[in-house]
Amino acid sequence: MPPRPAAPDPVTLAVLDNRFRAIVEEMGEAMLRTTYSQILNSSRDFSIALCDARCRLVAQADHIPVHVGAMPFAAQAVVEAFGDAIAEGDIYLLNDPYHGGSHLPDLTAIVPVFAEGALRFLCVVRAHHTDIGGATHGGYNPAATEIWQEGLRLPPIRLGEGRRPREDLLRMIAANTRLPRDVRGDLMAMIGAAHLGERRLLALLARHGAGLLDAAVEAILDLAEGHARRIVATWADGTWRGEAFLDDDGFGGEDIAIRATVTKRGDSLTVDLSESDPQTPGFVNSSYPNMMSAVRMAFAFLLDPEVAKNDGAFRPLAVRAREGTVVWAREGAPVTMCTSHCSNEIVEAVVKALANACPERAMGGWGRRFRVAIKGRDARRPGREFVWHMFHARPGGGGSAKGDGWSTVGEWHSAGGLKFGSVEMAEARFPLFFRRHEFRPDSAGDGQHRGGLGGELELVIETDGPAVANTAGDGARHGSAGILGGRDSVPHDYRLRRADGSERALRTKEVGIPLAPGDVLHVRAAGGGGWGPPEKRDPAARAADLAEGYVTR
Amino acid sequence: MSGYRIGIDVGGTFTDVVCIGPDGRTTLAKAASTPADQSEGVVAALGVLAAALGLPLPDLLARTERIVHGTTVATNALLERKGARVAMLTTAGHRDVIEMREGLKPERYDLRLPPPPPLVPRRLRLPVRERLRVDGRVEVPLDEASLAEAIAALAAAEVEAVAICFLHSWRDPAHERRAGAAVARALPGVYVTLSAEVLPQIKEFERFSTAAVNAYVGPVVARYLSRLRARLGEAGYAGPVFVILSHGGVAPVEEAARLAAGTALSGPAGGVAAALALARRGLGQDLVTFDVGGTSTDIALVTAGEAALGRGRTVGGERIALESLDIITLGAGGGSIAHLGPGGTLRVGPRSAGAAPGPACYGQGGSEPTVTDANLLLGYLDPGNFLGGRRRLDLAAAERAFAALGARLGLDATQAAAGTHRLANVHMADGIRLATVRRGVDPRDYTLLGFGGAAGLHVSAVARELGIRRVAVPLFAAGLSAWGMLHTDLRYEVARSAADTAAGVPPDDALRTAFATLEAEGRARVAAWFGGQVETRRAADMRYGEQVFEIAVPLDQLDWDSPGLAERVREAFHRRHEALFTYALRGEEVVLVNARVAVVGRLPAMPVPEAPAAAAPAAPVARRRILLADGGTAEAPVFDFAALAPDQRLDGPAIVESDTTTVLLLPGDAARMDARGWLEVEVPAAAAL
Repeated sequence: MPPRPAAPDPVTLAVLDNRFRAIVEEMGEAMLRTTYSQILNSSRDFSIALCDARCRLVAQADHIPVHVGAMPFAAQAVVEAFGDAIAEGDIYLLNDPYHGGSHLPDLTAIVPVFAEGALRFLCVVRAHHTDIGGATHGGYNPAATEIWQEGLRLPPIRLGEGRRPREDLLRMIAANTRLPRDVRGDLMAMIGAAHLGERRLLALLARHGAGLLDAAVEAILDLAEGHARRIVATWADGTWRGEAFLDDDGFGGEDIAIRATVTKRGDSLTVDLSESDPQTPGFVNSSYPNMMSAVRMAFAFLLDPEVAKNDGAFRPLAVRAREGTVVWAREGAPVTMCTSHCSNEIVEAVVKALANACPERAMGGWGRRFRVAIKGRDARRPGREFVWHMFHARPGGGGSAKGDGWSTVGEWHSAGGLKFGSVEMAEARFPLFFRRHEFRPDSAGDGQHRGGLGGELELVIETDGPAVANTAGDGARHGSAGILGGRDSVPHDYRLRRADGSERALRTKEVGIPLAPGDVLHVRAAGGGGWGPPEKRDPAARAADLAEGYVTR
Repeated sequence: MSGYRIGIDVGGTFTDVVCIGPDGRTTLAKAASTPADQSEGVVAALGVLAAALGLPLPDLLARTERIVHGTTVATNALLERKGARVAMLTTAGHRDVIEMREGLKPERYDLRLPPPPPLVPRRLRLPVRERLRVDGRVEVPLDEASLAEAIAALAAAEVEAVAICFLHSWRDPAHERRAGAAVARALPGVYVTLSAEVLPQIKEFERFSTAAVNAYVGPVVARYLSRLRARLGEAGYAGPVFVILSHGGVAPVEEAARLAAGTALSGPAGGVAAALALARRGLGQDLVTFDVGGTSTDIALVTAGEAALGRGRTVGGERIALESLDIITLGAGGGSIAHLGPGGTLRVGPRSAGAAPGPACYGQGGSEPTVTDANLLLGYLDPGNFLGGRRRLDLAAAERAFAALGARLGLDATQAAAGTHRLANVHMADGIRLATVRRGVDPRDYTLLGFGGAAGLHVSAVARELGIRRVAVPLFAAGLSAWGMLHTDLRYEVARSAADTAAGVPPDDALRTAFATLEAEGRARVAAWFGGQVETRRAADMRYGEQVFEIAVPLDQLDWDSPGLAERVREAFHRRHEALFTYALRGEEVVLVNARVAVVGRLPAMPVPEAPAAAAPAAPVARRRILLADGGTAEAPVFDFAALAPDQRLDGPAIVESDTTTVLLLPGDAARMDARGWLEVEVPAAAAL
């Protein structure tokens, strides 16, 4: 290892720390303004990171938590694959969960930054694409038993040189998706954002020199490490277990366990996931980077929100796992669901274990993702098919020492970062009628601080002729976990009521559910988990819950 | 008409008044703000102004023909959660729209942050059985029994205001109107807001939230404005009072009380209005406004002589989707506190010492080091001549504060102060960079216009950080917002959603009818306030079929009469999209979501003072030792801003002082006093970051 350069003076250090953060934020803004697809420009399902030449996370913009801890693996995969062949002006791309990616819909673009004859930084942009080919629209295929059924797989490739992507490769990637225009437009936006980062870093390197920037990076990472360690040192020492269960794998296997054994000593901790259940035939398996990211996400949630999310902050954390388990599948297994499930269960297991060490920091479970997509025709727009993805009726967030949970903000992995669209706009654009969309009373886990409420949706299908729905997700059997004596929430309850009066519960992993006009999709989402024993809940808060109608009894 | 015109800007610390006399001469005055009832501070400041003009207040007011006011009453009510007790009547099955907040939560990594209480608690969001479809058909007729039940509940709850928020009321407000009339009959004196009147646009969260905010701040704003009118009346004023709104135009007090949510940016709007007026006077067509006060910095862009408007505003965490100036506020100002962040690095702000206790050097009990303390320690401020000598600054207190901070960083007090000044500059520059990249523009093409009490000490350094070459600081920098209020026009915004289920853009005739209807409605409203010349501007919010963000497309330049109008509207959108995002998708479906018309009533222009006769260049009034960024020091000449002769040239390093502001010229800066009232500075090229 080269000798450490002397640290810059504290003022220069503060200035550079500010600049790194501002650069990733600016890259994020550029991305937001230039992407084409709804999932990116409205739901903001993308993340930005800046890594140093050793592929260590230096700065990230606060977008989608489950991306963040995984991004350095993408940088590493590029460096491992191309090594010294990486040249200024190159553009790299990957999505392969077995080579630096998390799951196929997340494409990652990487642009190297050179100064004084050497690689200095890597600008990393990850975005969830609307479609990535494979057997089902949108990439979530509950029937997949191998990754080749999930879509186009890209190990690290050199997408272009001289800061220009290769046209033939762009065409090839786009041609492998159902929405070539969106995918192409979004890819260009990603590359544009990465290049903006490169430009800003080059100016910074020219002004301060690579040596000073290296020293600043070391100091910034060390400071974050110190910050994180000081917090961890205040937690109780010990070894604890936490366990969380997936409903099923879509192939008949139920209650798949994620088991975390966490040992905390002094200012470090070890998370051991190796007792988790074996990998499953279906897509709830996790890739290695996604597992690492889920553990880091859980850790970041337990630290102070002000701790810089960089490589230094994660140094107190060691992770152990076994290949071939659901948290770390062997190459070839399907993994598309993993950024939600089993990410969420990994977080839940880790938080449950650590609740013993830092009860004031732990929070009740956040809801699980249960997707529905509907494909059909609209009589008002003859001749074309629509696909509608449900983001409404979100689950609730968990309670914590500071108060009750947030209602309808979604899942651990997005933590209130994904927006659902306007009901009025959805009715204008799709042949759907939202008879009811409001809180689902009694959906939260009780506790000293209860969870937030889930949503309830009664959606009338008004398509022109028959339509079809797919589901993908989890949480119809297991609610959001209560913690420290708090209660679990009720689980999701999705039902399909036919126009003829018959009714059935929807499962979380179904393909090709036929729908007819007049059918009603009745979604009742889980709330968040409770924190602390319900007996300790303030009677005034209980009375208020009743008066507001958050609970009915 | 040849009377006085008075602009009044109520800030957190001071109430600034600016008066333009019949001869075009501008006079500034200020008094301490009175947060409990802002109108007291207003009348006090008017008293100071009258004294400065050598007139008794009643005489001044009798000869005043117009008062324009910027108020922070609505903003403060939202920030401090001191609004009215509000209820909402809403479509049964959809009562939680405002509390769901579209599924979003701020602070991604703070999962322990408790949820904020909604402006209208759930128990006061009362469902009424009624439902329209998107095309205006009635799915469920308004059920009188459920309405009566809800109104009975309102009476029992003793609410001060009611927001009526029904789904698809943008398409047909009939149900909202019937419900509103019933509430008004049953509960006289209660402030009633219909969502379709505040914002007749599709997207229920934006409309309901805006209506809820309006009902929440409406009674407070209405009470304040009526108190203000009464006080002004007692003091001898009987003329019109206008309020500057978030979109930068002004409206009579009655309108401001009705559309109270539209006053949420009334304070900073004056600064942007001033920038527009200076642009018209020849300062330049592309400006970044840089308004630095005690606790915050407001940044906005003027591009090609126009200020950007947006509808994504939140104030105090609450969404207000009304057309408003696109102003970005940073938590960095003169009072921002320098401290050691939790990670161990030096940080400046966002916490501020505010007006009380204020910076350590104010000697009012503040002990934490602030940006102002740093500026004093570095020699940029004169301890004996701050605010025209009205406040003495305690140099020793500033030094103590920085010595304590520096000790924790291994720096002496001066080094810590220099670091604080530099970090504040970087933070402000980053804010401007973000503001410009959001709008897709390069700040180096812009002039940086610094104003507010504290901008002058940072503006040149911030320009260097950004690679901006041209800086301007008006002589009346501290009162510029109030000055700007006198240079803006009456404005009424009217919009209607056109989101159609079939055609993305309505056919020619429907387009013409829709815009003509909006214009007639807007003109009728403005005619009730104003008899002068009126102009209208047409625009539409449009997007591609699958997108969710609309962009505003100006439609004034189109030929509205010949056939093919809808196609021209589509093409205008493609071009706008291309200009903003570098690409257009001409094969794609284009959707026109909202039609909008701005009706502008031109107020008579302000008289321009005669250019002062050429005078001999002013000599420095003093010399002061200042510390420079490279660690060296300089003996900088100090000039009196007001005494500078037209076209007088100054080279940095130098300090230019007035009663209300101080400008720091850095080495290499070449400044020139412009006869039109501003100091113009050429900043040398620097390696911008």
